[in-house]
Amino acid sequence: MTQRWRVGVDSGGTFTDVCLFDEEQGRVEVWKVPSTPDDPSRGIAQGVEEGLRRVAPDAGDKPASVVAYFGHGTTVATNALIQHRGVKTGLVTTEGFRDLLEIGRQKRPDLYDIQADKPPTLVPRDLRLEVPERVLHTGDVATALDEEAVRAAARRLKAAGVKAVAVSFLYGFVRPDHEKRALAILREELPDAFLSAGHEIAPEFREFERLSTVVLNAYLGPVMAGYIERLKQRLEALGLATAPHLTQSNGGVIGFATAAAMPVRTVLSGPSTGVVGAQAIGRAAGMPDLITFDMGGTSTDVALLQDGQCKLASEATVHGYPIKAPMLDIHTVGAGGGSIAHIDAGGLLKVGPRSCGADPGPVCYDRGNREPAVTDANVVLQTLNPEHLLGGRMPIRRELAVDAVQGLADRLGLGLMETAQGILSVVTANMARAIRVISVQRGHDPRHYTLMAFGGAGPLHAARLARELDMRCVLVPANPGILCAMGLLLTDLRADFAVTRLLPAKDSAATELAEGFAALTAQAERWFEQEGIAPADRRLSRTVDMRYHGQNYELGIAYEGATMATLLSRFAEAHRQRYGFATDEDPVEIVTLRLEANGVVRKAELKTHPEAGPDASGAIATHRDVWLAETKGFAATPIYARERLRPGHRFAGPAIVEQMDATTLVPPGMTARVDRWLNLILEAA
Amino acid sequence: MSVDPITVEVIGAALASIVEETGETLIRASHSTNIKERRDCSTALFNARGETLCQAEHIPIHLGSFLDLVPHIMRRYPTQDIRPGDAFIGNDAYEGGGTHLPDIVIAEPIFIDNTLVAWTVNLAHHADFVDRGHAHIYQEGLRIPPVRLYRGGELQKDVADLILLNCQVPKERLSDLRAQMAANRVGVQRFQALAAKYGTATVLSAGEALMDYAERKMRAAIAAIPDGTWRFEDVFDNEEVPEPLPLAVEVTVTGDQLALAFEGPEQRRAGVNMTYTALLATAYYVVKSVMDPSILPNAGLARPLSITAPLGSILNCTAPAAVNGRLQTCQRVADMILGALAQVVPERVMACSNSACTVAYFIGKRPPNTPGAGSTWVYLETIGGGSGARSLKDGLDGVHVHTTNTSNLPVEALEIEYPLVLMRYELVADSGGVGRYRGGMGLRRVYQATHDCRVRVDLTRQLSRSWGLFGGGPGAHGKVEGGPGVVFDGDQAVLKAGHWFALVTPGAGGYGPPDERTADAVARDLAEGVITPASAHEAYGYSP
Repeated sequence: MTQRWRVGVDSGGTFTDVCLFDEEQGRVEVWKVPSTPDDPSRGIAQGVEEGLRRVAPDAGDKPASVVAYFGHGTTVATNALIQHRGVKTGLVTTEGFRDLLEIGRQKRPDLYDIQADKPPTLVPRDLRLEVPERVLHTGDVATALDEEAVRAAARRLKAAGVKAVAVSFLYGFVRPDHEKRALAILREELPDAFLSAGHEIAPEFREFERLSTVVLNAYLGPVMAGYIERLKQRLEALGLATAPHLTQSNGGVIGFATAAAMPVRTVLSGPSTGVVGAQAIGRAAGMPDLITFDMGGTSTDVALLQDGQCKLASEATVHGYPIKAPMLDIHTVGAGGGSIAHIDAGGLLKVGPRSCGADPGPVCYDRGNREPAVTDANVVLQTLNPEHLLGGRMPIRRELAVDAVQGLADRLGLGLMETAQGILSVVTANMARAIRVISVQRGHDPRHYTLMAFGGAGPLHAARLARELDMRCVLVPANPGILCAMGLLLTDLRADFAVTRLLPAKDSAATELAEGFAALTAQAERWFEQEGIAPADRRLSRTVDMRYHGQNYELGIAYEGATMATLLSRFAEAHRQRYGFATDEDPVEIVTLRLEANGVVRKAELKTHPEAGPDASGAIATHRDVWLAETKGFAATPIYARERLRPGHRFAGPAIVEQMDATTLVPPGMTARVDRWLNLILEAA
Repeated sequence: MSVDPITVEVIGAALASIVEETGETLIRASHSTNIKERRDCSTALFNARGETLCQAEHIPIHLGSFLDLVPHIMRRYPTQDIRPGDAFIGNDAYEGGGTHLPDIVIAEPIFIDNTLVAWTVNLAHHADFVDRGHAHIYQEGLRIPPVRLYRGGELQKDVADLILLNCQVPKERLSDLRAQMAANRVGVQRFQALAAKYGTATVLSAGEALMDYAERKMRAAIAAIPDGTWRFEDVFDNEEVPEPLPLAVEVTVTGDQLALAFEGPEQRRAGVNMTYTALLATAYYVVKSVMDPSILPNAGLARPLSITAPLGSILNCTAPAAVNGRLQTCQRVADMILGALAQVVPERVMACSNSACTVAYFIGKRPPNTPGAGSTWVYLETIGGGSGARSLKDGLDGVHVHTTNTSNLPVEALEIEYPLVLMRYELVADSGGVGRYRGGMGLRRVYQATHDCRVRVDLTRQLSRSWGLFGGGPGAHGKVEGGPGVVFDGDQAVLKAGHWFALVTPGAGGYGPPDERTADAVARDLAEGVITPASAHEAYGYSP
């Protein structure tokens, strides 16, 4: 069979979305199946098989033999972390420092809440073993590694039945000899255990964050390796003849083998695929400056893309655990369509963090929940269809939502509609705060960005959120509900390489800087070879992290085409922009060299559609009374059917656009137009 | 004007977002380890009357420095003389609203349409003014009343020069002051943008409403507690005072009001004295934690509270009492309030935490053949300890408690910046008080000097111990352990190259009688080396 299908699979908590792209004909097909949380590989295999049988029925008992590329975004590592379902893990570390894992940065988990606890320490104290050894910051060895102590520790851990061992020594990133030797001894004594060492996983300074990363990697390692192995076997059984890929937290995809060795790099695999999808759509639509707004049922992910690029954070705290790994700068808020509204002791309206989830769901589902959720507020206002949701598949009862919201309204002394609208305003304010974190707090003015809304609830709340932030433009992609799966087919392969080299930013350092980048380039070239990327399809981009001597936070400065003098002036400019000053008094340092390697692959092309003129009246399916905050009353509002909207169509708010997986609100004062890719673009009139 | 509750909520979120952002700017632009890594700094917004609009979730005691600063500025300078771009610097405990001299505050007025509408304020604990005396405040460092560091956006170089000449590491001070200015610049811009969006009157009214809201929540929480008076006593001990000092508090609930009446001895010729604002900040912190941790940290929460202590006592000192180590006393006061409230809301408090903010101060000359050779280096760090056991849970091990919450400095940052090597950093077995729920463990941090330097330590609970509740046992003492050749003269020692010493922080009290601890929990503590076999046997009657 010809391998002509590119397959993207996003496996979420409720559904597994399969996106199939035909390379020959350029068409995209979508298939959705229920997820199988006990072993997600089962649902994935089923979805892939069913999806492929629909589009390529001739492949017989090897339906996946027509697949040219397989990409996957997963929440397996995240879920294992949230639910603490990793394996029994041991730690071997520098004498005197076994408690570092528990002490962390010595801060308590909540400033005011006496009852708050730290996240559980993943390796209990009796499995954290110390060995005599000490390296200094200069790389000099103060105490040689006691190899017999390592062997004794290995045997103790073996007797305790650990499945994974983390090795992390002070300054292992400066001089990895001791860690390497310890790994070799552990390998001899525990041939079947998953081993992970600091210098391999996170070769950067700050010992606690590095230790936390290595321990997490070990703790998740066997879980991820087992999952990947099962998925690989199932896909091979379906006839898959190409190497499958998986998204990392940095948005890049890697081969299954690399993913199995570095599971800690996949904790944001799921949300990062959405960012990648948004990136491709924004680029095609000529809107490379985006803030993504992926609002689901219980949580919302936001990220900022400048000139098509999402900033990489080199470190983040995920579910309470610090991780040093390249991660897209994605900010998650625990609020979504299912978040519950309530009045607190001081009489203010609050929304979330509790959520009604998919079951029992909002009050209007009539499955037992009586506390109004954000969805109920939308049903009351009739911005959401008051009779059924999900394109008619889910009948609902608006009167129940009205009763629930009325209960809050009575206690607030406000009207029913004002209260429903108030619930949305509070949610919007929380979302705006999250977006400020990734925009203004990073020095970006959201007014210069387009808000890209996706996920089940994103398009409904996007326009008001944009207004709150003075953003002028909102983009709702053609299929907001499956953007993540789609993203997998729109991305290049990507890997990030970095090395810490503390250098003065002076001409004298130019050679060492060039040598550092040469070494990173060599690593990238080896990776390109592994992934089978032709030389013409290899792309490299280099940045230098710089700071004033004395600071501990750096600014990333583009290295391309720079001399030392231009690096310095770019740094001064960036510092002035971020902090309002630059100075000649403090010398500037180079801290880390970073190289991003992209392997260009054949991607699903976003299809354009012919222009149909501005008249969108043919797409109006019906009218409905919708309560609008702008006029504080109901108004007969046209309801457009998304599938009937064509490029060039243009209409003014108030309007509602309905499609199977999402509803878009176009409020008064905004106009909507459809571009060539069937994106819906909302702009302030 | 009246603002609807939803707009109030939205503006409240925006104010919180501003103080978070100013704090992050300060940390990222700063140079000293105490700020950039240990995050010993705070940010806040104040209204034109000098009342707290919003304080970032950094360090509760820093509120003490903020509380009286703007009123001090207003008293010293007629409002019509204050202009956009002015920035006031201050640190004094008696004339500047500060609680100790290293905490330097910079306050900048926010103007809209030529009217002063609010203040952006930040505080950074500068690692300076060390190796000083503490008989009175004149020995403790440079006293800075609120003066303009910037006038109309221009640095007042004469003022800056005067301050920097009195600092031990002037270059680092200047860099950190710049970071503080960068943070305020962000605060001014963000507040002005917020006012432009909603209208100045709306934002200011929302600020008032947020205070009313905090007040209502505080009153509701107090009203839920039965009326009554509860007394608690403890002692304060450390190297600076020759014998333990008796302290007491009486907590009285009357309807929706709470009174805290403190008793303490006359202020001492030692750095242990607390200014009244330090007492207020401590009390606000504890009351908020127990009553409702979600109450907004603004001036409204204080309205139902009455807090008194004898003027001229160590809990409400007057000039020229020394105040550098006031945090030790603050921590003791925080625990005492919990001890009193334990008698009425036992499920909402915890046993005594380590009651300390254990500090090590180092000063020396940069070694030859290193950057800055021959210049003075100063390093200070604070070390966590046990946190008290709770009604249904063990205490937290090795954390910062109560009025402070700074990070440790990574070993790999410490050793690159200073001629010190860290030999051990660990939890101390048997240091948590026994009980149905165990008190948190103290920490041991072992330092070695690679070149000659001086060290001073500030710790407490060497004589007394952190108490348990309802039959729980006390935590272990705090102490200093000197290696060979190291002799502490009181709280100070000279370290020669190769010398080491250990600082051990106190453990916390347990909750409930130890014979009610489950055998599983004892077995786990024993397996993990949290308790020794001897204490398993003696305190819990446990043998494997």
